Amino acid sequence: MSKTYEEINDKIKAKKAVVCTAEEVIDLVREKGAEKASEEVDVITTGTFGAMCSSGAFLNFGHATPPIRMTNILLNGVPAYGGLAAVDTYIGAAQMTEDPAGGYGGGHVIEDLIAGKRVHLRAWGPGTDCYVRKSIEADISLDDINEAYLYNPRNSYQNYGIATNTSSRTIYTYMGKLLPRMRNITYSSAGQLSPLLNDPHCDVTGIGTKIFLAGGEGYVAWQGTQFNTANEEVNGVPVGGSRTLALIGDMKGMDSSYVRGLDISGYGTSIALGVGIPLPVLDADVMRRAAISDEEIFSDMLDYSLPSGRKPMARYSYAQLRSGKVEYEGRSIRTSSMSSYAGAKKVAEELKDWIEKGEFTLARPSAPLPREGRLKHLVAKE
Amino acid sequence: MGTKIKIEFDEMNVQESVTYILSTEYGLKPNVLKAEIKDDSSGIMILTLEGDQSKIDEAAEGLRSKGFTVSSLERHILRDKARCFSCGACLSLCPTKSFTFDEKTWEVHLDIDTCIACGSCVTGCPVKALRLNL
Repeated sequence: MSKTYEEINDKIKAKKAVVCTAEEVIDLVREKGAEKASEEVDVITTGTFGAMCSSGAFLNFGHATPPIRMTNILLNGVPAYGGLAAVDTYIGAAQMTEDPAGGYGGGHVIEDLIAGKRVHLRAWGPGTDCYVRKSIEADISLDDINEAYLYNPRNSYQNYGIATNTSSRTIYTYMGKLLPRMRNITYSSAGQLSPLLNDPHCDVTGIGTKIFLAGGEGYVAWQGTQFNTANEEVNGVPVGGSRTLALIGDMKGMDSSYVRGLDISGYGTSIALGVGIPLPVLDADVMRRAAISDEEIFSDMLDYSLPSGRKPMARYSYAQLRSGKVEYEGRSIRTSSMSSYAGAKKVAEELKDWIEKGEFTLARPSAPLPREGRLKHLVAKE
Repeated sequence: MGTKIKIEFDEMNVQESVTYILSTEYGLKPNVLKAEIKDDSSGIMILTLEGDQSKIDEAAEGLRSKGFTVSSLERHILRDKARCFSCGACLSLCPTKSFTFDEKTWEVHLDIDTCIACGSCVTGCPVKALRLNL
């Protein structure tokens, strides 16, 4: 049996759609099988809430009198890009204040704006015949600027490596604080709830798919950067970081409880975002893929004390990782997650709630994501 | 578990052997969790004491008479619950396993009674929701 987008959307609009989270369908499929489950369920919701460094916001401040062509821009002291038209900018989540010890960066500016706080703008320009002003200061909020939208070049990584540290000193990485001599390991995927692990070949996720982005509505804009399909697969899903998504969404509809500016000691600033993607249950295959559980999803452990050439040391399932400890060469190592599973659950639940209430319909993708993508390496000059 | 106390000292009493006094004069079993002396010779010591409460109270008075500031340790770690998003980065950093996941919601819980104020989690927290309050 198969369903169409139109049939599913008609049921959503009539508030009759049956929606389950990617966690709930695991037991459902074990109990009834994918065929039967796909007849009963119309939409499966996924979720993740973790660090997504390659994120940022386009902002348009509006023109002052007299106007300025901004070429150097600071938002709460965080530099924003000055190479667009006069009062457009892009602020990146990983951009830090000029004092990197400040622990405040672009991710925090984005969180503050979405939380409704005022942000201090300072900007300078060359002063031209058409834009005579040379500097400006203002306090802005999301309400009094024109457009404000996130455009994130790489979000929602499909799986990711596990980090440990074999060296004799504590190291501070984007995968968190790694204690010496493998005293701990860290991982970051939402596993069985993660959007791209539930639709591993992007069969129903494409350009134009409508999504939950940071508590508001967003869209898949493009494949994410470093989109990679070349990794080994186990149980139909890749082991390690693979596909990624570029996401877009209006900041004015977002909710700051799904946004966190991050200050990752020893690495820098970033942002954590809640992202959820609905999967239309067009047929039993969609259901079968989404029923994957943490026991069936694997990742390889890598030694982050090595500057490069990290080889897989061991392979663990997300069920093992989430248990709090794993075994390695006869000893027990404790684990930490870098993304919030509690947050991933909340995203999937909230998106489910929107769809059940008829507030969120599904968008058929306008174009598919690439079937193949391989990583190129940057060759440094000798 | 014992009672957690904080002893503050300065250059007048920095050379006193506090743990020796606690064990020989009051029959208590001290366990030093943290001790630091700053450049100005002031410092703090955090320890747990096992023994009768009456002896602990007597010992605290005795140390106060020697110029130490003695206080019981409460709220020695502060968590900003609005900031915390329950990632769990702190879990494997804590030597006493004071952070745990709720089995149902996966929210992070902190058991302040087992926290020994080492501070390992403070730098490991990506939203800087944790702070030592010593």
